[in-house]
Amino acid sequence: MATHMSRCRSWSRVQRFGIAAYRKYSSGGGYPNISLSTPLPGIPKPVFASVDGHEKYETRITTLENGLKVASQNKFGQFCTVGVLVNSGSRHEAKYPSGIAHFLEKLAFSSTAQYGSRDEILLTLEKHGGICDCQTSRDTTMYAVSAEVKGLDTVVNLLSDAVLHPRLLDEEMEMTRMAVRFELEDLNMRPDPEPLLTEMIHAAAYRGNTVGLPRFTPADNVDKIDKQVLHSYLRNYYCPERMVLAGVGIEHEQLVECARKYLLDVKPVWGAITAANVDLSVAQYTGGIVKMEKDMSDVSLGPTPIPELTHIMIGLESCSFLEDDFIPFAVLNMMMGGGGSFSAGGPGKGMFTRLYLNVLNRHHWMYNATAYHHSYEDSGLLCIHASADPRQVREMVEIITREFIQMAGNAGEMELERAKTQLKSMLMMNLESRPVIFEDVGRQVLSTGKRKLPHELCDLISNVTASDIKRVTAKMLRSKPAVAALGDLTELPSYEHIQAALSSKDGRLPRMYRLFR
Amino acid sequence: MAAGSLQRLSSAGRYLLQRQLLKTNSFSRLTAGQHRLWATQAAHQVALNVPETKLTSLENGLRVASEDSGLPTCTVGLWIDAGSRYENQRNNGTAHFLEHMAFKGTRKRSQLDLELEIENMGAHLNAYTSREQTVYYAKAFSKDLPRAVEILADIIQNSMLGEAEIERERGVILREMQEVETNLQEVVFDYLHATAYQSTALGRTILGPTENIKTINRGDLVEYITTHYKGPRIVLAAAGGVSQDELIDLAKYHFGKLPGRYEGEAPALPPCHFTGSEIRVRDDKMPLAHIAIAVEAVGWSHPDTIPLMVANTLIGNWDRSFGGGVNLSSKLAQMACQGNLCHSFQSFNTCYTDTGLWGLYMVCEPGTINEMMHFTQMEWMSLCTSVSESEVARAKNLLKTNMLLHLDGSTPICEDIGRQMLCYSRRIPLHELESRIDAIDAATIKDVCTKYIYNKAPAIAAVGPIEQLPDYNQIRSGMFWMRT
Repeated sequence: MATHMSRCRSWSRVQRFGIAAYRKYSSGGGYPNISLSTPLPGIPKPVFASVDGHEKYETRITTLENGLKVASQNKFGQFCTVGVLVNSGSRHEAKYPSGIAHFLEKLAFSSTAQYGSRDEILLTLEKHGGICDCQTSRDTTMYAVSAEVKGLDTVVNLLSDAVLHPRLLDEEMEMTRMAVRFELEDLNMRPDPEPLLTEMIHAAAYRGNTVGLPRFTPADNVDKIDKQVLHSYLRNYYCPERMVLAGVGIEHEQLVECARKYLLDVKPVWGAITAANVDLSVAQYTGGIVKMEKDMSDVSLGPTPIPELTHIMIGLESCSFLEDDFIPFAVLNMMMGGGGSFSAGGPGKGMFTRLYLNVLNRHHWMYNATAYHHSYEDSGLLCIHASADPRQVREMVEIITREFIQMAGNAGEMELERAKTQLKSMLMMNLESRPVIFEDVGRQVLSTGKRKLPHELCDLISNVTASDIKRVTAKMLRSKPAVAALGDLTELPSYEHIQAALSSKDGRLPRMYRLFR
Repeated sequence: MAAGSLQRLSSAGRYLLQRQLLKTNSFSRLTAGQHRLWATQAAHQVALNVPETKLTSLENGLRVASEDSGLPTCTVGLWIDAGSRYENQRNNGTAHFLEHMAFKGTRKRSQLDLELEIENMGAHLNAYTSREQTVYYAKAFSKDLPRAVEILADIIQNSMLGEAEIERERGVILREMQEVETNLQEVVFDYLHATAYQSTALGRTILGPTENIKTINRGDLVEYITTHYKGPRIVLAAAGGVSQDELIDLAKYHFGKLPGRYEGEAPALPPCHFTGSEIRVRDDKMPLAHIAIAVEAVGWSHPDTIPLMVANTLIGNWDRSFGGGVNLSSKLAQMACQGNLCHSFQSFNTCYTDTGLWGLYMVCEPGTINEMMHFTQMEWMSLCTSVSESEVARAKNLLKTNMLLHLDGSTPICEDIGRQMLCYSRRIPLHELESRIDAIDAATIKDVCTKYIYNKAPAIAAVGPIEQLPDYNQIRSGMFWMRT
């Protein structure tokens, strides 16, 4: 208690004077000199909301006459997240210079027909306690705003303007080119190579098509992208039937009304509304290898060295998120888990996942082993990232290929139950956050026209059995591997050997008989 | 389908990131309050579309605080008024060591049992130590709240502190130290504390020196617990799907035996005075210079904290991959962008009980340090002398927005409740925080900034190729303006 006493001592004078002190300062036009530990006198009494039973998990969807879908989800609180999702990403760039979606992401929320500059947009949002953000992925572009609910009309108007009426001024284009270049530079400088490896394995798995196209603007293309190219692209892909206006924390009727007002009879700045030249290619999984020899002996940005590592990522084709098998694959991914050999964080990070138990806990020289699952509307990729000293790359590759083969064995009852529970808790914990709900609602409605609710997903997860895992693994193992390798690759086994290992019974690499060692 | 939310599963770096944010306890750690105003200010009552934070004290002084939003998941944790500040030169690192030992087994559960139990229920258990607080928290399904509380109670009251485990943990902590050292932001902030609070408890690191990590023994850990883990210094906080009544019952049952009183004198908060000074670690092999400069600001509950946060928001932060227009309310960001002066900068306001550091962290190429420092100080001087009403109005709005948007999800809310209970012994209602921010105008900012920044000796920590960094006296003379 004494600590509290001593802490308060310096403020006791203020507290004793209480209201008087407040009045004295406020009359001088100044700022109330009252400790934050003491309630400010004279402010109204709050009436709090209370939880009335369960939150209603209902997603409502309306399709407007022009094909644009409006989806909403109510949520407790007085902020909303509203945004436009467009079925447009790097996978749609086959007939264009790669990198347009990435470029558009950096350019988003610049000047529009109504707003003279990005600054004006931000100022308008700030009045409603709002912020904006644009994110692209391989298949989707999202323009999103979080703001006070009462600013909804302004927000939707602004979103419509930002998506359909960007001015694309020369100086904004120049500024965007600079931002893209800086991002590419940072991407190569970062000690964490995960984004780079993800890019490489997509290029290997879907050689030259759809989701295999580069997600980041290639340096050579930065100057090729101009207003004309953008307008041509936007004319094809930014059409109402490829868009969803999603909102979380608002009433559906209100959102639909705003959508009608600002997104129904609006002619975009690039003119034509009908899409003429849309790339409808279906992802072709090819498998293959992408290598990048890079000196990783000194990637540390500071005086403390990071050990030299070679990174590999090995993947196989899983399935699209539209297929029923998506859920067993998600459970399998959770069961593999993994992470860094050193990571902070207590129990709950997946300490009993296979990549911890079988890989990191047994082979202390391994620096990292983590499973990832990327899934799209027509294909998917389950992959494992691993890193270790360049001299042990061959051993590391074999450890990973053996893990792939073992996925086809029997999953233990305990580990399967744990993976399912963890998948459910991860899902529900992610969905605590409003922007995550927004993304979930938007993406689901964009790709399927409806939304599977969290509890429905949980039921599907609960139904996954060990034989499901076995079945999807067997199917996956029939695909050709996709491999990405980064760093010193002297000891990297050949692609054919990796392929042979993944077609074998035990996952071992073929023996190498070298005459001269 | 739910690809988005299901795929976020294997974000491996997450915990580390979170730890860093929490440990440095600096950027955008705002004294966020709770609820946003709905009705007009004129009314004597305001309706807030968020649940109330309920607060109860047990007989032994332990406080229970929660906000029930009816979610299927929850966060519950113990916020303890004890961190590295209560250590001395010899036992520096004990609080952090103890945090590590918490997961190493109790009289009821072995380490393996604990890990299996948490993982099998799809929960997460985590802990962090800062200079003034130690926190243990769990995230779980709301239905598992009773078990989560029982586990938290077990790990802080019945930890085995086995000799073998202690020996093993030394290696882990030394490895963590290496990990921290690769993060230059953490390194620079440790240096900044070391120089600003030299020869006081706040100047020491949280992990402690290698020598201590190798020698801290069971006795040190036990003594730290018996001295500091007492009812009145602990808050049990929860958010998400949690009922305060249930939480009180659980607290009584599991924490009822926790001692409430001190026999004799309770440990006093050691005074920590600020010294304007610098630490330079020149290393021309590094590509970028990492520099922090700060003046002494105020503690958590000081009324000037809020104007200083507005000033902090006004200076803002920037990263060159943002491009031109992201932080347009910040003049410094525009200058940094147009002049290509740095890779990134962040304004910070780190608070402790009775003192704080207000300043700027920058990452620059060697050739732009001088200019970046010059423009930073120019902006600081302009805060003290000529900041405009419109700039202040904008920063106020931004500050409110950042605080409110941050309170999304059970963990940030629980964290806010726990921290505020320790800092203010209450949770500041949001409309009160808003009135406090609203009361600020340009004159307040000028007054407050002059009080803490103008003509004050700063503390500086710089690492990397820093030949161009002006000498201390030159920087010191940039802390005032000659008026003719």
